Amino acid sequence: MGLFLRLAARGLRDLTLHPWAQAFTLIAVAMVSLLAGAFLLVLANVDRELARAGGQIQAQIYWRPGANMTQVRGQWEDIRGMEGVRGLQSFTPDQALSALSNALGEGVDFAWLRTQNPLPPTAEIQLATPPEARETDYVKAMVSRLLALPGVDKVRLNPLQTETVRTWIAVSRRVLWPAIGFLALVVGLVVGNTIKLSLLDRRDEVEILHLVGARPWYIRLPLLVGGFAQGLCGASLALVLLKMAQTGVREILNFPPLFIQIGFLPLAQALGLILAVGLVGAVGSYVAVRD
Amino acid sequence: MVHVERLSHSFGQHFALRDVSFSLEKGGFLFLNGPSGAGKTTLLRLLHGALPVMQGRASVAGFELSTLPRRRVPDLRREVGVVFQDFKILPERTVLQNVALTLEVRGVDPGAAERRVRALLASVGLEDKALTPCGLLSGGEQQRVAIARSMVANPKLILADEPTGNLDLDLALRLMDLFKQLHTYGTTIIMATHNREVMAQVPEAQVLALRDGRIWEGQIAGQIAGQTEGQTGTAQAETSRADGKPDDDGQAWEDGA
Ligand SMILES: Nc1ncnc2c1ncn2[C@@H]1O[C@H](COP(=O)(O)OP(=O)(O)OP(=O)(O)O)[C@@H](O)[C@H]1O
Ligand SMILES: [Mg+2]
Repeated sequence: MGLFLRLAARGLRDLTLHPWAQAFTLIAVAMVSLLAGAFLLVLANVDRELARAGGQIQAQIYWRPGANMTQVRGQWEDIRGMEGVRGLQSFTPDQALSALSNALGEGVDFAWLRTQNPLPPTAEIQLATPPEARETDYVKAMVSRLLALPGVDKVRLNPLQTETVRTWIAVSRRVLWPAIGFLALVVGLVVGNTIKLSLLDRRDEVEILHLVGARPWYIRLPLLVGGFAQGLCGASLALVLLKMAQTGVREILNFPPLFIQIGFLPLAQALGLILAVGLVGAVGSYVAVRD
Repeated sequence: MVHVERLSHSFGQHFALRDVSFSLEKGGFLFLNGPSGAGKTTLLRLLHGALPVMQGRASVAGFELSTLPRRRVPDLRREVGVVFQDFKILPERTVLQNVALTLEVRGVDPGAAERRVRALLASVGLEDKALTPCGLLSGGEQQRVAIARSMVANPKLILADEPTGNLDLDLALRLMDLFKQLHTYGTTIIMATHNREVMAQVPEAQVLALRDGRIWEGQIAGQIAGQTEGQTGTAQAETSRADGKPDDDGQAWEDGA
């Protein structure tokens, strides 16, 4: 164990031999990890939205701007009572406006718009297909029923439930592994090559170590630890950047009737990403210094 | 301990070693002698696996070199201490670090390694230089670092390539005492040297004279003052035993890795 730690420490010390090369590698690893992290982030958020919708179909109903609010309020009550409707959240133009200005941040105040608010009244409803009906038929019927209501301008099915989104998810699932494999290859090559530099630097020492009876792992272990450390650092840096980016855009879709808060990666995925990039770095170094 | 049978080695077209056979029992002492370019270094390199055995056979400390897989070469080298003709020490590291390297790769704890190295440095007269980077040492001092490193792990066999080449006679004789001491404790030693005074220090030693890569018989008789009959390389070569059986004497330094 003592020996293992000594060799690991040597591997870390060796990283300081070529600070510039290491810095560039770190940046490259961080950028690739950032790409992978962003990809995972999008998937995680899509999953979260799907889970939130709970398999139900959602529809947003937009009235014409300036619709008569007394009439609209009555229609909200009617819709709530329709068959298959599981819930309804309604927004008057004023509510929508203040939610929007909240979403856009502190400095934005739409108070001046109060008197001539351009936003329409909206409602978001959750639909559950009755067991005897076919989903598409039921949804189509429901949409035309809603459109027939006086004052209703358009009805949009929740984007996450539409075919495009389903296709997008299917496609991204399919490219997920090839993309991750490709990114891993890039990380492995970049890290492996910098680690090779450390090896070249220590050529004389490595020769002598061999001559006095060192086993191959004794020579490789510090290099593997170095590669692992580069992977860990690069991925951690990437996650810090990703977190900053996510904080910046968190509220950008959080307004009625979307209400999508862009969340960060789940902890397990974040740690998994760091560990995976670290391992890829170690494997990359192993391959690079294999004799 | 060392059995060599019709061993040849060529670099390209040039044979550096041709048909060499000899045998050295455990605890024996063998001088390798011969003019520059005779193949002494080549032979020693073959014996610790730094060159592959391609023609003939050699068995060292129980390892059959012609069939030894690469991954087992470290096992062989742990039984063999080598003084390289060009020292092979790291100039930016201290004397202590250079000598301790042999122990370090065996997983010996650094504290224990340092104690052992310091004790040995005293016997090669480098106790004051323990913390000096080797690049700052004189040729003779570097040579003594190389000698200390070859001995520090208590190897069964020491291969010493001109270990006194850079030393004045006094110092050379003093270091020969060290080799002789190890020899009396049972270490097997093969030493390449031109120096007759050095050879005279171990009158009971066998001598293998090489010239142009071959054993050169004409040189042997009466080569060393006081050399007794029947101990020359060729005499041993006739009774060479190359059975490749491991010598089962205890290993002096346990493998801590
Ligand atoms: N790596 C090599 N490549 C090509 N030729 C080599 C190599 N090593 C040694 N030789 C040649 O093999 C021959 C024997 O060399 P070797 O080093 O064994 O001689 P030596 O007896 O140790 O000489 P010295 O007393 O000068 O050290 C020489 O002719 C040398 O030029
Ligand atoms: Mg030589």
